[in-house]
Amino acid sequence: MEWLSAMNPAEGLQNALHWIVLFPLLGAAINGLLGKRLGRANVHLIACGAVFASFVISAIALYTVSLGGVARITEVWWRWFEIGGVPVEMALAVDRLSAVLMCVVTGVGFLIHIFSTEYMSHDEGYWRYFAYLNLFVAAMSLLVLGANLLVMFVGWEGVGLASYLLIGFWYTDDQKAYAGRKAFVVNRVGDFGFLLGIFTLVGLFGTVDFEQLRVAASGISPEAVLGGGIFSGWTMGGVITLACLLLFVGATGKSAQIPLFVWLPDAMAGPTPVSALIHAATMVTAGVYMIARLSFLYAWSPAAMATVATIGAATAIFAALMAYAQYDIKKVLAYSTVSQLGFMFIGVGVGAWWAAIYHLVTHAFFKACLFLGAGAVMHGMRDETDIRLFGGLRKEMWHTWATFGISTIAITGVLPLSGFFSKDAILHGAHANPNLFFPWVPTVTYVLGLLAALSTSFYMWRMFNLTFHGERRGMLDHHAHDGGNAMVGPLWVLSGLAVGSLVWGLPLSGGARFENFLKPIFRSAEENLARMTALGAQEMGVPVPPAPAHDFAAMLPGYLIALVVALVGFAIAWYLYLGPGKAIPAKIAQCAPALYRAFANKFYVDEFYDLVVVRPLNATARFLWRVVDSFAIDKLVVNGSAVITGWIAQIFRYFQDGNVQRYAVVMAVSAVVILWVFLG
Amino acid sequence: MSFAPVLASLTEAWLFYPMAIVAIGGALGMIVSRNPVHGAMFLVLSFFGIASIYVLLAAELVAALQIIIYAGAIMVLFVFVIMLLNLHEDELEKPRLTLGTVLGGAAALAFWAISFMVFADLPEQGMPTDLPEGFGRVAAVGRLIFNQYLLPFESTSVLLLVAMVGAIIVAKSRI
Amino acid sequence: MGSVPLAHYLALASGLFAVGFAALLVRRNALVIFMGVELMLNAANMTFLAFSRHHQVMGGQAAAFFVIAVAAAEAAVGLAIMIALVRNRNTLNVDEVDTLKY
Repeated sequence: MEWLSAMNPAEGLQNALHWIVLFPLLGAAINGLLGKRLGRANVHLIACGAVFASFVISAIALYTVSLGGVARITEVWWRWFEIGGVPVEMALAVDRLSAVLMCVVTGVGFLIHIFSTEYMSHDEGYWRYFAYLNLFVAAMSLLVLGANLLVMFVGWEGVGLASYLLIGFWYTDDQKAYAGRKAFVVNRVGDFGFLLGIFTLVGLFGTVDFEQLRVAASGISPEAVLGGGIFSGWTMGGVITLACLLLFVGATGKSAQIPLFVWLPDAMAGPTPVSALIHAATMVTAGVYMIARLSFLYAWSPAAMATVATIGAATAIFAALMAYAQYDIKKVLAYSTVSQLGFMFIGVGVGAWWAAIYHLVTHAFFKACLFLGAGAVMHGMRDETDIRLFGGLRKEMWHTWATFGISTIAITGVLPLSGFFSKDAILHGAHANPNLFFPWVPTVTYVLGLLAALSTSFYMWRMFNLTFHGERRGMLDHHAHDGGNAMVGPLWVLSGLAVGSLVWGLPLSGGARFENFLKPIFRSAEENLARMTALGAQEMGVPVPPAPAHDFAAMLPGYLIALVVALVGFAIAWYLYLGPGKAIPAKIAQCAPALYRAFANKFYVDEFYDLVVVRPLNATARFLWRVVDSFAIDKLVVNGSAVITGWIAQIFRYFQDGNVQRYAVVMAVSAVVILWVFLG
Repeated sequence: MSFAPVLASLTEAWLFYPMAIVAIGGALGMIVSRNPVHGAMFLVLSFFGIASIYVLLAAELVAALQIIIYAGAIMVLFVFVIMLLNLHEDELEKPRLTLGTVLGGAAALAFWAISFMVFADLPEQGMPTDLPEGFGRVAAVGRLIFNQYLLPFESTSVLLLVAMVGAIIVAKSRI
Repeated sequence: MGSVPLAHYLALASGLFAVGFAALLVRRNALVIFMGVELMLNAANMTFLAFSRHHQVMGGQAAAFFVIAVAAAEAAVGLAIMIALVRNRNTLNVDEVDTLKY
């Protein structure tokens, strides 16, 4: 095959990119249709093999675009359709951003497939599980590799479908099925915004292709007032803001930000490796990826960027607070994911795009490790998730304890693990990047981000302490042990990556390596941002603010503050759950019961939505069912037409009763009428 | 010289209207009689009136045939059958006002009224009085039916035979 | 007085026809209905003859001749049917003779 040619992998890849999507898709099809007959070993082989093949191609692609000297590899798979003069092709493209994300998706995905072979070894529906998992990888690849908005949207919907199928995997349990449904419906709301955003962009630029959009966006002036068409009278900047906000609605749905985050905690009903892959490492990051892809567009809209940053910050602290009182091990991690995603959105909202992507990558590593670790704990404790029953698992599950500990250090942002650098890059961008149009953004995002970091440290260490340290509180007769190699191996690989990836984020004098790596991608965005800032400065009559410095000296204060915050959280958690203050949490719950209940019930957001959205919708649906469908259509129209036909037939019965004289009367009347009409 | 034109020129109108009243009166009497025998008698009266008008129309043969066949044979046959069927007093129909009767009467009346619309454009002057010699006499009719209308004539004889046979068969109690 | 206009003869004929028609539609005794039919035939005859005199053509009188012959034949058969009707249904009321609806 051509793609093995080492001489020119770029050329080979131009015809082979679609295999990244096709391998897992075929794996899904084979496992889905024939899996039951193939047996466990074959199903595992096909599923893991497919993802590994995609990983290999992604790695080759990454090599080509980084060291091979090619900026972007495009493949037009086939011509899809053309509407209103806008051609849409099923096209895939690889540049540094997509290559990095692809390697994360397929690499972490591969490790999770390996983990699942042992974790799901007792489940009867294993073939279904691996089919759905492969389907997910295929859809996510399509999303990342998409060269235009519509291909990305196909992948977007595809991962939503896979998420629904996997969350409701054990569909015989009603609650789990409802969780899947909730995820899908909430996502759908976001997708509606996404679609409207796509339509706006098509209306404005007449194309959906990313390259064409980028080129078009670099030549516009945001003050220009538009002429004819649906947006006549708007300024270019205004329409772009609209499009960016609509697209962001889609991102809030997929990436679980305020107000559409409610599906993520419920999504923990699915198998734990699913939570690791979809709801930690890959699918939920699609929103961040989408905004990073369209960074050149967001740069023209300070309002949209401020919205993104603020909502990200609000979500970060809000979700972190919700995690305080949770005692389900997976729910804590779910809220943690929502909070960390908030960080990533802060990153893209303040213009620190490389930092957001870097945090995306490191988060993928340590969050996947944390979830798999939780899965290992559940596997060892007979699928129990209540951490109040755990305790002292350090002695019984050493590997899990070690890897979980490494990942917890990473997530709380303690030197020298990668999480520290990625989170800090974001926080530094938050307070250092100037914002002319919304000057309160740096302060607000930095403060909220810092509070969220403190909370992260606290609740993560709380969970760690309650689970692995101290004495066992429940299930005293049960002896837990680590999983086999298939479960422990991926845990170590992921924690190793969580440590190792710090290399890319070290603040060297020329900028962090990751930042320089992604510089060509975000150059358009940086330029547009600079121009927007200059325009703003001109309008407001202030000098253009200087670019913030990125060297170690400039970042040192931020580093120190973040480190202190993380350690404070660790200290509080140790004191309350391992140290002398063990009675305090219970006392707090007693002294302020309403406050405690508010925390424990996730601030009643679900109840609020139920009241405001779900119940009216249900009432509308019930109205439509009972009144419109059952009564109006079934009774009035369907039965009614039958009844009316009956009445008309009754009238005609009058004329056909065998009484000949009556026939004569009818004839006479008709003859008279006809005569009257024709003679008169 | 046929006396029809003389009659027509002198006293046609004096004869037409009374005879018309007789004809219509007889017909109406037929309709309203409860007893069918009375109705038959009224109908005979009406036929006499009609025959007189036929004479006024210079159709003497047809007038004679009307009296002989219609009033004389057909109505007698009617009365025979009525007497044969021997309806009792309580079996006679009682007058009844239903939608059917109202509609029927109204339709008949409307028909009569509409027919006036047809006569509206007919010329106002009277009928011609100078008819050709022998108009309406036996010879004139005979000349027609044995020359031009020979086929209908022969068919009518066959028809009468068939009717006779049919009537016998239908009315027999056992075939 | 002059001769009577054609319209008057026709009016009389259509009046007789209307009366016969009414008898057909209103009365329920089968014999009376039949008498109405005969009246209608006579009305048609009168129309024939009126036009015959108006156009001074003998054709109308020949037609009236045949009408009378056919009416006689029809009366015979019709009355025979009435006799059969009474024999089978024991009634001359046409309202009770309605089994043709099945």
